[in-house]
Amino acid sequence: MYSLCEELILGARIAQRELKAEIRNKLRNFWVFLVCIILGVAAIASVGGLKDSLQAGLKSNSKNLLGGDVEIRLSHKPISEKQLNYLKNNSQKISKIIKMRTMTRSQKSNNHRTLTELKAVDNAYPLSGKLVLNPNKDINILIGKSNEIWGSVVEKSLLTKLNAKLGDLIVIGSTLFQIRATIISEPDRIATGFNFGPSALISSTALMETGLIQPGSQTRYHYRIILPKGEKLEGWKNKIQTNHPSTRTRIRGPEDATQGARQFIKRMGTFFSFVSLTVLFIGGLGVNSAVKNYLNSKIKTIATFKCLGASESLVFKIYLFQVLALGAFGVLIGLMVGALTPVLLLSIFQDSLPIKPLIKIFIQPLLIATFFGLLSIFTVALWPIGQYCKFKPGSLFRAKTDPLSQYPKRIYLFATIVGVSLIGILCIITIEDHFFTYCFILGAILMFLILHFCARMTIKLATMLPLPSNTILRLVQSNLHRPGTVFPAITVSIGSGLSVLIAIALVQENLSDQITKNLPEKAPAFFFIDIQPNQVSNFDTAIKSIKGTRNYQRVPTLRGRIVKINGEQIELSEIPEESHWAIRGDRALTYSAKQTSKAEIVAGKWWSEDYHGKPLISLDSKLAKSFNVTVGDNLTINILGKDVKAEIANLRKINWRKLQFDFAIIFAPGTLENAPLTYMAAVEVPIKKEEELEKAATHSFPNVSAIRVRNILESASKVLYGIKIAIQGTAILTLLIGTIVLSSIMIAEHQRRLYESVIFKMLGATRPQIISIYFIEYSIVGLLTGIIAALIGSLIGWAIIEFLLQFQWVFSGEVLIYTTCISTLTVATSGLVTSWHILGQKTTPFLRND
Amino acid sequence: MKTFAPNQLALNLNNIHLELNSLAGSVQILKGISMKIHAGETIGLIGASGSGKTSLLMVIAGLEAISKGLIEINGKSILNKNEDQLALFRRHNIGIIFQNFHLVPTMTAIENIALPLEFSGIRQPFKIAAEQLDLVGLSARAQHYPGQLSGGEQQRIAVARAFSTSPPILLADEPTGSLDKITGNEITDLLFNLQNKYKTTMIIVTHSPELASRCKRIISLENGKVSTSNV
Repeated sequence: MYSLCEELILGARIAQRELKAEIRNKLRNFWVFLVCIILGVAAIASVGGLKDSLQAGLKSNSKNLLGGDVEIRLSHKPISEKQLNYLKNNSQKISKIIKMRTMTRSQKSNNHRTLTELKAVDNAYPLSGKLVLNPNKDINILIGKSNEIWGSVVEKSLLTKLNAKLGDLIVIGSTLFQIRATIISEPDRIATGFNFGPSALISSTALMETGLIQPGSQTRYHYRIILPKGEKLEGWKNKIQTNHPSTRTRIRGPEDATQGARQFIKRMGTFFSFVSLTVLFIGGLGVNSAVKNYLNSKIKTIATFKCLGASESLVFKIYLFQVLALGAFGVLIGLMVGALTPVLLLSIFQDSLPIKPLIKIFIQPLLIATFFGLLSIFTVALWPIGQYCKFKPGSLFRAKTDPLSQYPKRIYLFATIVGVSLIGILCIITIEDHFFTYCFILGAILMFLILHFCARMTIKLATMLPLPSNTILRLVQSNLHRPGTVFPAITVSIGSGLSVLIAIALVQENLSDQITKNLPEKAPAFFFIDIQPNQVSNFDTAIKSIKGTRNYQRVPTLRGRIVKINGEQIELSEIPEESHWAIRGDRALTYSAKQTSKAEIVAGKWWSEDYHGKPLISLDSKLAKSFNVTVGDNLTINILGKDVKAEIANLRKINWRKLQFDFAIIFAPGTLENAPLTYMAAVEVPIKKEEELEKAATHSFPNVSAIRVRNILESASKVLYGIKIAIQGTAILTLLIGTIVLSSIMIAEHQRRLYESVIFKMLGATRPQIISIYFIEYSIVGLLTGIIAALIGSLIGWAIIEFLLQFQWVFSGEVLIYTTCISTLTVATSGLVTSWHILGQKTTPFLRND
Repeated sequence: MKTFAPNQLALNLNNIHLELNSLAGSVQILKGISMKIHAGETIGLIGASGSGKTSLLMVIAGLEAISKGLIEINGKSILNKNEDQLALFRRHNIGIIFQNFHLVPTMTAIENIALPLEFSGIRQPFKIAAEQLDLVGLSARAQHYPGQLSGGEQQRIAVARAFSTSPPILLADEPTGSLDKITGNEITDLLFNLQNKYKTTMIIVTHSPELASRCKRIISLENGKVSTSNV
């Protein structure tokens, strides 16, 4: 017997010989094997490369995206003169920007108005980055006063909404502006986040004339600063906070500005990572099938090796080396494709992206893809190689008439489990969102097991059903449960891709329905903000004068920022990411004696109507959980520079997805009444009255902004549509690779079917009879696979909608029928193509005694 | 069952040529073979390897198209028939046995025997198949797959299958070639017993002189031509 080392060398030598023969044969037995590996590895490498390019681009452009080295933000009022002078003395340059939402209307027609994200800038803007306008003139000239009229530069969509063109006049507040240019790109746009309307830039001097700056108005002040040479951000921040401590202000560096974008890239990266892993998972099935096919073609060789004295472990090594060598070749090609794809795609589409990517080849994604690729090949190849190596030579010679069906040795089973575990660990290490990664791994394993189980149960059912008297149907039913039937393999390969497609389609359908149908029916039609106290009575009258308005609510509001939780600074608290929205800036606050919120109180009690005591708040229960607080604990909220410590009196369970008019924090009476408040309102109205209502609410109240919920939902819908296309594209990719795996199964089947059809022909079966048998059989397999995948996909979709997104699940039969048809068609067509090819073959070569 | 009257001409081959094309050029397999075989005759077809014996059987069965000549079975030509017509023809007229059995590996013994009966649309195919299985002494192996049977048992199943539709003509291509002498003799006995029972016209390709000697006539092929034909 050989030593381990000798066996390794001998195994490698024989493997090399076998491989050379395969190469001379143009790797005919391995094209599916290679395609699956290349696709899987390329997908992982591409996704990683794209993500890294975007993140690197974001990092390198973060200063431009922020608009400076550092930004100081605050609401309602600007910083004091003293603070401003201090900043001027401690910076190279400083630029002040004022932002607010307001209504803009066309001077020509009162009927054309739109909610606008107004940005008033000074002469220094932009401090960092390039503002690109059309015509591309100096911004200060464009927004300055000319012929006694102020200028503005706007986003193109504003022209569309107001039915205006360059040179037209618009009204912002009580001031006329002329549209002098459109914005092509705004360097600090992405740091702003989601906009409710198109952007308009005006001069900060002009803003003062509009009458929009009122006490309590929802105005945000941004001071963008270029640090003194050699000054580091952290040191500068500490200096400011030491010399001018203020809880009103928020100091942001470039990292903070791009946090939203980074989160988005991270989320999309995670999603596409899962897609690429799904491609690898299904591709792994293809590799497994291809290895089985190859070993099947080598049965006589393996039996001969064994007859000539080769040990089981030597035979194992011979074939494992071949598989790994070809696998490494496939991985290499996959890496090349995966490295170049992001470079190509980003080079072509970089101008359409909001972030300028860093276009280069990143090494880390390639390394990760290599590990995934090689580990997957090793794991999926172990089982079939172990199976074929286990058998005695005699039974191997009979394999043609006795399909192999035994388990491999325990060591190979154990090694397969270890391989699968290592892949799982690699997933956890490389994908940041661990919760979703665990769900994905568990989901993938469960899906595979369930698909396999369902296939086996269907086979069992086929054996129990009475056989039809019709010959064709009898043969079809018998074929479903014959030894070596392809039904389980087809179900798992096509079923995996289909289940993913169905789950995604159902989730997308449900989300779409919620946004376009359910929410608009339940949510208010309008939110109005910045209603001044002296306008309240007239505003109420204006709203109620429109027929059909209902559920009109108006509440006082101002903004504040959570600064401490139970006395501990917010920066020191560990808050889960999903609640960062609450601490990332100012929140809208209100107060109320009565419980007007429709949310259910889940802890504590509402205060009495005549309450007058220490500050109390009612808090969103989800936020409370994130903050790890309950009734009796306290939050410190900075309101207009003053820290207010408020005790939590009760917790409310708010479902934000219903878009009901509610607040995360509601104060009891006695705390906010004397603050400079404005009012916020919400109202429902029939669609045909929306235009009239908006006009009534804003025409006489130019400082009031109207947020039309329908428009917001339409914008969200458009974003969702874009995501839908991307998601469906990726789901189709998983189906595509499932089809490639299917073709591998068909190739394996081909020889067996060919031989079978030769015998059928010899015994007098006509071609229509043979085609009928295979076509009906594959159609049934496709249909059953589609049904099983529909059930599994629906289950996954339901779980995501109900538990993850917390919407109400709506069943969509259309999606299920559509995808079941895809399955049936795909498998039936494959069967038809295979049968056609088989029938074209000559019978005699098979029947000769060679 | 289609039968011929005794002494009726079951098979008439006239100047049969078979030419096959390959990458190396065309190859003449059969070069003008003519023979008349009467109903119920048993013909032993012998010759060296490559003499065209198997090709002749394939041509008679309609599994290979001739380049020139005439083939008539029971007075009807099988030329100019498409594949489906030839399949229909085989269903009702030809039974074939091979050296390598050629059973469907994923069908049980009884299913293999029932197949041609099912294709022919004969009623109660499995009942007839069971009877055939009994005839060859393998009723106990009805539900076994070919992989679970010995070579001799597989050939018995193949014989049962070939005779299941009671074809007027039976072609056997080295039926004992893969078997040991004792098993081969058993198969030979079985073949001739069934032939005698059904009065089948039987053509057997064989290298075995003992098997050939049991046939009424021996035809020898050499280089694609008939070299001798004796009774």
